[in-house]
Amino acid sequence: MELEEMQTVWSELSDQIEKQKKLTDKMIIMMTQEKYRSRINRIAYPEILGGIICYGAGLLIVFNFSKLDNWYSLLCGIISIVVLFVLPILSLKSIKRIHKIDVATNNYKETLLNYAKEKKQFQKVMKWGYYLGFIIMFTIMPVTSKIINGKDLFSETKSIWPLVIAIPLAIIFFIVFSKWVFKHYLKNINSAESLIKDLETTD
Amino acid sequence: MSKELEFTRIIKDHQGVIFKITTVYTDNREDQEDLYQEIVYQLWKAYESFRGESKISIWMYRVALNTAITRLKKEKRRGNQIGIDKVIMRQTEQYDTGFEERLKILYSHIKRLNQLEKGLMLLLLEGKKYEEISSITGLSPSNVGTRISRIKQKLKTQIIKK
Repeated sequence: MELEEMQTVWSELSDQIEKQKKLTDKMIIMMTQEKYRSRINRIAYPEILGGIICYGAGLLIVFNFSKLDNWYSLLCGIISIVVLFVLPILSLKSIKRIHKIDVATNNYKETLLNYAKEKKQFQKVMKWGYYLGFIIMFTIMPVTSKIINGKDLFSETKSIWPLVIAIPLAIIFFIVFSKWVFKHYLKNINSAESLIKDLETTD
Repeated sequence: MSKELEFTRIIKDHQGVIFKITTVYTDNREDQEDLYQEIVYQLWKAYESFRGESKISIWMYRVALNTAITRLKKEKRRGNQIGIDKVIMRQTEQYDTGFEERLKILYSHIKRLNQLEKGLMLLLLEGKKYEEISSITGLSPSNVGTRISRIKQKLKTQIIKK
């Protein structure tokens, strides 16, 4: 399809739309209100719920920190607390920055540029979120075992076979998983980067 | 005229433009409905600060396009939305199949362009002059020209490949 033909189809479409206008005043007002409500839900549910879970788990470790009585439990406990407290902040901050882009006064180029930069940052946070999430999966095991059951996962386990099997499997899984995460996010980050480059060299 | 009345009149006058923008920037009906409402909502918010320094249509395109590109895609989320078919036309209602087919081809060409090119193409199809495209996008008129030639080239390549 040539550009001229595209223009013809587009103008035909515009004519059809013009004939079919259906929007009423009430609908428009409702749309602004409905959107406002769904925007609150949008921010509230997934992000804050995730944050509450992380902070709940983090606080549980903090309050039971005295139960961690050997160096590896302590180390795992500290790593878990740091990740559980920092990750939600980074993620929420990153999303908030995207929402703060001024769509009312910026022009298209500025918006694209700001969005690409914030998106790149967000993708990086997400990527690290996956890595840290994976790490915490392991650090939290000895910690919860100590806090909830009062057992040392390493010295008080009757058979070492589950650990011998689980650890190599976890390492293999981690390598495959990291490669997938890296590939997935690299693509997104690269496309954002090329757009930034293109826009920054313009005019 | 009250602010609310004036706003609803503007939206009614430009509802077709919003519809076309949402079609170009989304891949399914649910996303389209979501974006349509988001644009109306952002326009309502922005209307407060609109001082009439630029033409209303330019302001409208700018806010609508900016909203389209900054919208974060949400998965499995469905708020209280007004069905777009209740609001605006169903494409199949009055079109003949031949036209619908050509429309599909047109959309498929546009959707293969990158975000910046998509916006430029949309404005070009809307019949905007380079100066108007320039004030909506923030690119200089000469840069708009260069980029549009590149888009034309890209489209030609797409056609040859097909």
